[in-house]
Parts: sequence; structure tokens; C-alpha cells
Amino acid sequence: MVKKLITEDTKLFMTGNEVIAYAAVAAGAEFMYGYPITPQNEVMHTWCKLLPKTEAGFLQTEDEISAGFSTLGGILAGKKAFTATAGPGNVIMQDAMSMAEMMRIPFVCVILQRGGPSTATVIYSQQETTLTCFGGNGEGHRIVYSTAGHQDLYDYTIKSFNTAWKYKFPTYVLADGYQGKMREPFVAYDPESKGIRMIPATPSLRAEGLVGVDRKAVHMRNTFNMEEELMEVLDSFEEEFNAIAPEVQEYQEYKADDADILIIAHGIVARSACTAIDELRAKGIKAGLFRPITLRPLAVEPLRRAVESSKQLLFAESANGQLARLVFEKIYGLTTPYETLYKMGVGITGGDIVEKVEQMDGAIACR
Amino acid sequence: MARTKIVLAGEGGHGVQSIAKILVEAGYAANKKVLYIPNFGVEQRGGVSIAFCQISDKEIGEPRFSKGDIVIMLSDRAIDRCSIYVDKDSTVVYDSSICNTRPELNAKEIIGIPANQIANDEISARVFNIIILGVVIKATGVLDIQDIKDAMIAAFGKKFDENPELKEMNFKALEKGIELMETKASV
Repeated sequence: MVKKLITEDTKLFMTGNEVIAYAAVAAGAEFMYGYPITPQNEVMHTWCKLLPKTEAGFLQTEDEISAGFSTLGGILAGKKAFTATAGPGNVIMQDAMSMAEMMRIPFVCVILQRGGPSTATVIYSQQETTLTCFGGNGEGHRIVYSTAGHQDLYDYTIKSFNTAWKYKFPTYVLADGYQGKMREPFVAYDPESKGIRMIPATPSLRAEGLVGVDRKAVHMRNTFNMEEELMEVLDSFEEEFNAIAPEVQEYQEYKADDADILIIAHGIVARSACTAIDELRAKGIKAGLFRPITLRPLAVEPLRRAVESSKQLLFAESANGQLARLVFEKIYGLTTPYETLYKMGVGITGGDIVEKVEQMDGAIACR
Repeated sequence: MARTKIVLAGEGGHGVQSIAKILVEAGYAANKKVLYIPNFGVEQRGGVSIAFCQISDKEIGEPRFSKGDIVIMLSDRAIDRCSIYVDKDSTVVYDSSICNTRPELNAKEIIGIPANQIANDEISARVFNIIILGVVIKATGVLDIQDIKDAMIAAFGKKFDENPELKEMNFKALEKGIELMETKASV
């Protein structure tokens, strides 16, 4: 059992990477596997610095391929294990993540997005949205939470463990280099004190007892002989994924009710949008925000409602429309016109959004 | 001012991230809303290192901002990189003993301070960044000097205990920075 560090609500001021490590401890995570990559390193550093107090485990592997598969091994053995990575690490970990999808392993991974493609920058981006949602040679049966700051990092890192262990779909906390490196205050807590019961980890393989006598045999497959055999399994995954979507999906709206211009943004860009919306409203332009918190699955019904009731959309992303592509599929048939503010691998400020919105037809009509 | 936006930019090794950390720790201790993002490249040494800091009375939305109220530029490359964060409402401070040219920008005020030279001549090259911290404190006026001193003690407490001279030197540098900003020294 991992020792608790936080027993009562405590206001802390630290970097996002430290927040993630503290949250994983609070969630009862027992083991971290990882390989260094900026801007994720301090998740590992902090996790390791806390080891003498938490009595948890850590293994630094030779690369992210190994970190991903070691995490799966730890989970199969019954440990609440997780990993964290970024950029090229996220790319090469996809093989293990695909296995987690296929074998329904409660894999938890925190992604700190950096600029891409390839090595690009160590700083920030939202360019791993498609990769995190749909990477690997599968269908994207994954749950992805996109965070927008330190309280989110703490809350959703804790939540991701329960989501993964409850539904047995790989679960991601999708953050970015800004969130990892920046410092802002948040409140740390013991999940139990909020009525959150952490689901205990149980071994998938090599559980105690005699097979056929004390327990059923376990058959976890990632290899199939027949095409139809595979499809039968994937159909059942798809059905299950769609069935749980209503209870998993999360979103946030900010002044969206009466918005003429609806900004669609996720993660930290959504925060810049809130700053912009206040400024635009002060100028008489009715802007609002729809922020998907879960990128997989998207909260489709609320999204369609918000899109339908607004006059114009603005997609704002630090990528070239990776969120927009996820959204377009789900708002098929709606005819609300849209514009885009895409800055590939670059942060978006409130000022950027204000400037863009002021040039839009919807805003000009408000004048 | 409800929200003060500060850009600190210098060469890697100048210690801009260290002073940014002290600045936001002091703001946090003074019950302000604070947010700080460090920004640097893949280099282990050198390269332009930038710190984006915000100190506010209200919740902070956007983590990155377009224009700084105070923009500190400690090298020629920092001037090149950070001119985009300057507008007519920005106060720009550059180190006139490091930068070869005075930044030509449309700003509220452009102030040259030879902090590096003063650190070398009068105190110690090691506290160059603390002089700059003093400049920032005076330029922003949102934090008390005592809050900053407390944050410095929290950051360097052990080193200060082991070597009281170090503490004296750092505080002297801080006060020097404040004084320089007061007189808006230009060389």
C-alpha cells in the first residue's frame, strides 16, 4: 500500500508536473514506469523524490516502447501503474497503447504535449490531440481528458485511474508543456475526503489460487486467427464505448447560453478564450465558450446544442485543426458558419482571440 | 493595476528563471493570484531564456499573454526575441552594459540600466539577476520589498545560513536594483 502524503485540503504552489506526481500518489498509484523527455521529466523526478515517503515504485526503462509495455506488465500483475510522456515519446509508445486497447488493460498515461512533428520544440503545443485520441493501429477506444490548469491536473489525474480501472479502456490526461512547467496555486486533497472511492487494482494475470478451482482462467487476447473473430470483439468494444460515453463525457461552457459567437477550444487555450470572452463582452460582442473536457468521447449532444444556437463558430487551437476535425464529424448536418484561429505549436493568448473575433462577420454585425 | 504582466528575457545562465520564481513565490505569499511559465529551447546552456509572469488581484485566465506591462531584455538576442511582447503601454528595461544597441520600440518608456556592470564593479557578478529583480519590483510596484526578501530567504535559506555574507550581498543587490529604477539610470 502506498503511503498518503495529503490527508487534508492543502493549498500548494508548484509546477504542473509536480501536481501530476502528487495526484498520482493521492490516487493510490503504486508504480510509475517512464523514460525522460521534456517537458514531462519532472513528473518522474517528483515521483522519485517522493518515493522514500510514499514507498511506491519506479522503473526508468531504456525507451518509451519499454516504458509503455512495462506499465502494461505492472498493471497485469495487479499494480496500479502509470506512465507519462510527450512528443516523440507519445509516438513510439503507441504500440503499447494499442495493446492496452486490444486487451482492455487499465493503462493510465499523462501526456505533456510539445511542438511537433518530430523533435520540434520542447515547449508547448496541442498537436498530440489526434495522436492521443486515435494513435495506434486501432479505433481509438480510449478516454482522453484535456486539462486547463493545475486544479484540473490534480482532479483529472486522480479521476483517470478510476476511469481506467472501471471501464478498462486506456485513459489519458492530455496536458501540455505550459501546464507541466508553469506554476500556479491549486488545492490538493485526499480523494476519500471528497467521497471519491478509489477502485483498488487487481491482478489480471497470475492472481492467487488455482485456475479452474479457485478462479476462472484468464484469456487476454491481442492475436486473432479470423477476421470475423476480430470484428466481433471490436464491435463489442465499440458498443461498450458508446454505451459508457454519456457517463464519461465532460464539457465546460462559459457564457455560451446567449452567445452569438461560440469559441470551441480545449485545454489551456480554453482559458485564454475565457479572458477573451470577458473582454469581448465588455465591448458588446456576445461571445461564449464550448470546451470539451473529454476529447474521447466528446459530449456530442451538448456540443450540437451549443453550435446550433450560436450564429458563428471560432475554432481556436495551438494546432492545425486537430480538435476541429474531431468536432466536425460530430456536428455533421449543422450549418453554423465557422472561422479558425490555428497557431501550430504556438500559445494562443486572450488578445489573439479578441483580435480574431473582432474581424468576424458575427462581431461586425453586433456593432 | 488588477493584473500585471511581466516578461523577463535573457541568456540562459543569466538567472531569469530564478528571479521569476522568487517573484511569483513572493506574490503567492502575499495572497495574490500568480502564474509563471518558463520558456526555453533545447539547449543545456545559452539560448534565450524567457519567463512569463503574471501577478493579479483576480483569477488569471490566459496563461500566456500578448503584451507585457514590463518587458526586461538582458541581451541583444533577448531584444530580438521579445520585441513582439512590447506595445505602447509597455515599460521596457534593457541592460545597457550587455546589449550593444538600444531597443528601438514603440513603448511607453525604454530604460537602460547597466546592471551587469554595476554587479561586477560594486557587488558581485553572481547577483546580477537580483539587481534585475529589484528593478522589476520597483517598476511594477505590486509587491512589498519585504515579501521579496522573505521569498529570497525561502529560496536560499540554507545558503544564507551557511554564509551570511551571501544574504547581505543579495539584499544589497535587490536594493541597488530598486535604487537604479528610481533614478532610471542610463549610461
